[in-house]
Amino acid sequence: MTMKKTLKLNLGPQHPSTHGVLRLILELDGEKIVSCEPDVGYLHRGMEKMAENMTYIQYLPTADRIDYLAGCFYSELLCRTVEKAKGVELSQRVKTIRVILLELNRIASHLLWIGAFLMDLGAVSPFFYAMREREMILRYFEKLTGQRMMYNYFVFGGVRKDIDYIEDIENIIKILPEKIKDYEKIITDNPIFLKRTKGKGILEQDVAFNYAVTGVNLRASGIEYDIRTTDYLYEGFKFKPVVLEGKDSWARYKARILELKESIKIIEQGLNILTYGEKLEQNLINPINLKLPEGEYYNEIEAPRGLASVYIKSTGDDKPYRLKWRTGSYYSVNLLRKLLVGEYLNDAIAISGSLDIILPEVDK
Amino acid sequence: MEIKEFINTLDDCKLEGDKIVISGGLHRAIESAKSMSFDMLKSITAVDLSNGEVELIYLLYSVENDENLFISIKTNSEAETVTDIFPSAVADENEIYDMFGIHFLNNDKLKRLYMPESWDGYPLRKDYVSDDTRLAWNDNEENS
Amino acid sequence: MNYLYHLYMEFLSRYSIPDVIGNITFYIIPFCIIALALLVVVLILVLAERKLLGWFTQRKGPNRVGFWGLLQTLADAFKLLIKENITPDKADRFLFNLAPVLVFVPVMTVLGIIPYSAEFTFADSSTNVILYLILAAFPVLGIFLAGWASNNKYSLIGALRGIAQVLSYELPVSFVILSVIVLASTMNLTGITLAQYSRLGVAGWFFIPCFIGFLIMFICILAELNRCPFDLPEAESELICGYNTEYSGMRFALFYLSEYAMLFANAVFITILFFGGYLSPFGTYLSYLILGDSNAANICVYFEQAFWLFFKASFIIFVIIWIRALLPRLASFDLLKFSWAFLLPVSILNLFGIIIYKYIMGGV
Repeated sequence: MTMKKTLKLNLGPQHPSTHGVLRLILELDGEKIVSCEPDVGYLHRGMEKMAENMTYIQYLPTADRIDYLAGCFYSELLCRTVEKAKGVELSQRVKTIRVILLELNRIASHLLWIGAFLMDLGAVSPFFYAMREREMILRYFEKLTGQRMMYNYFVFGGVRKDIDYIEDIENIIKILPEKIKDYEKIITDNPIFLKRTKGKGILEQDVAFNYAVTGVNLRASGIEYDIRTTDYLYEGFKFKPVVLEGKDSWARYKARILELKESIKIIEQGLNILTYGEKLEQNLINPINLKLPEGEYYNEIEAPRGLASVYIKSTGDDKPYRLKWRTGSYYSVNLLRKLLVGEYLNDAIAISGSLDIILPEVDK
Repeated sequence: MEIKEFINTLDDCKLEGDKIVISGGLHRAIESAKSMSFDMLKSITAVDLSNGEVELIYLLYSVENDENLFISIKTNSEAETVTDIFPSAVADENEIYDMFGIHFLNNDKLKRLYMPESWDGYPLRKDYVSDDTRLAWNDNEENS
Repeated sequence: MNYLYHLYMEFLSRYSIPDVIGNITFYIIPFCIIALALLVVVLILVLAERKLLGWFTQRKGPNRVGFWGLLQTLADAFKLLIKENITPDKADRFLFNLAPVLVFVPVMTVLGIIPYSAEFTFADSSTNVILYLILAAFPVLGIFLAGWASNNKYSLIGALRGIAQVLSYELPVSFVILSVIVLASTMNLTGITLAQYSRLGVAGWFFIPCFIGFLIMFICILAELNRCPFDLPEAESELICGYNTEYSGMRFALFYLSEYAMLFANAVFITILFFGGYLSPFGTYLSYLILGDSNAANICVYFEQAFWLFFKASFIIFVIIWIRALLPRLASFDLLKFSWAFLLPVSILNLFGIIIYKYIMGGV
């Protein structure tokens, strides 16, 4: 009697390469994946329910914790929503400060991804190199905001205090390009790396659309969709969204490397705009008894892991009636159902690594 | 531009701000939106309206024209699934099922996502009471 | 070992100890030496690997226990010894306990057949190259049993990968060793070492005529040792720890010990086959140059030979560790393809080339 039996493998939630607590229920035929069922929720903190019981300023620090690697983006989203609802204009300096911090945060997030991705592929050193550069940025954030990861630096109508230690940023953007060159030397053209990533995990455009994949993963499939181009914060900044045609893991890697360079350019422009002597003008909104006018508010931003957006329905109360976060990783996890089928186990790890999934963002 | 064209294809709808509010025929509406170059379903948002109804807001996006399209529908406990049009809806519908208890017809992949299978109640509903006995669900399960 | 034997007997008769005891102890002492030396070698190797990896990745490596972290591995070993030995409920107890022993014993034996210096081979036989070949492939049986008996899916996949890997990489190794046998016209490791002797030192070593063979051998050794980039059986980002996932305490220590002992043995083996074993790279031994043709020089030369062997072997180990720091892991399918489709044909061609070379050089 010949019967084909498959092996059910629980990848996670405690597994070195699921970047947190993702659980993939894989069905294996030998080492080939027959089906994949992501199981999320091990990190669920009920962020959306919390919002309904908190005033806006109470909720602001929580927003940072949605994505602990790129907290700035979510607090920016919340601030932006409140500012737009209140009709508050930001001064150019505040905008520039925000852009600089957002981009620094994006660099830190991408750097960690590069390290973690290479770790998934089995290379040890790039992880430490990437962490070393990320450390510079985190040190700077710690100096400026007092926190390494959850900054809570943006407030409604401005920033908590004026930007400082600009020489540190200058130092970072001076050092980084050389280091990126180093990464490219040891990673980009490494034959084993090419073999593991070129042509692996191909994300066709229609699949990407159907699964609502956004951000770098979408742009690496050849679609130019970067909200930063239409973002009001980024007005006056010259940059080009990174669009690659590769569609595979390698393209997603390369796109992130190129995006690092773009971010450095944006920070350079930001530093040029910031003139040292200029005073910080803020239109701070009094957070006490802050009530948004009745209505629905929707805002989006280009986070490192794809489109992030917030929907707030207010009934004129001091607490949001309903708050909904949309995060990029959530849809990337969903994509695994489609992308992993037919791949070998070790390619599956590489592919899921290349999508840059981070679990606090998935579980919210 | 596209939005206006799209509205013309619908029989029964009204415009509320950015939102197109429809009273039925969700599946058909989403399908025709997809055929009109709205090729990404960015997210589905559910809002409990406190009167027993839940509003579902479908946010579609057209990369070609860089346009967002909000389609809103009110429902009591059931809705049509759009997973056959947009596979990404599997994730959203699952979350809404978990948090609001909306059954999406013909979607067989619905399961409790964040909450345990044995959990009763849907946390993001306004009538949901988070009392202490339910928070200690681990002990309860062992005792029963 | 005649010279040492006579020295030993002379030493014993000086204290009027009967010859019988000498005859027995002379063969027991070496094995004690091996067991001790093995422990020391592994302790040094583990520390060296961690230190080197630390330096490669911009860290300091272990530096807390003892001066410069020298006692770190000792502390780790002690920790492993006092840990509980856990056997999973559903595991096959007998095989589960047998597996580490099956891995460890051949490694111990391999160390016995290596000529550390002239007349200092514990178990010299005329065909010990073949013996080595068998013993080096033997641990994979233990690995498979470990994976199978653990009743863990990750272990099983790791074990299957291990079997496939060793089977496919054993063949090219055999062909390369065959070509070395052709060059040396002997199957004895001491004979192979002596066949590489020339007045010019390095010029006589076999890596010059058989360079391709050396490269193939080096790659295959990496695969057989489950070292990066071929560390698929224990790929930590995919299979947690591979075949030894379920092992703890002393049994894990045995796996760990044999892994590093095997690394050492293989490095020594490569040295013997291609880098003249214990021969001095200068043609003549330094002991004779410094001490002249005296009795002291005759003793000293043994230590010098052992030094040269260890020196060359540690260089090879250094390269192996270096590779681990640098390269990502191959995919399992590519790994097998690489061996069957590339290494095997090249190694066969290499054998033909060597035979022709030998014929032209008039060695037959």
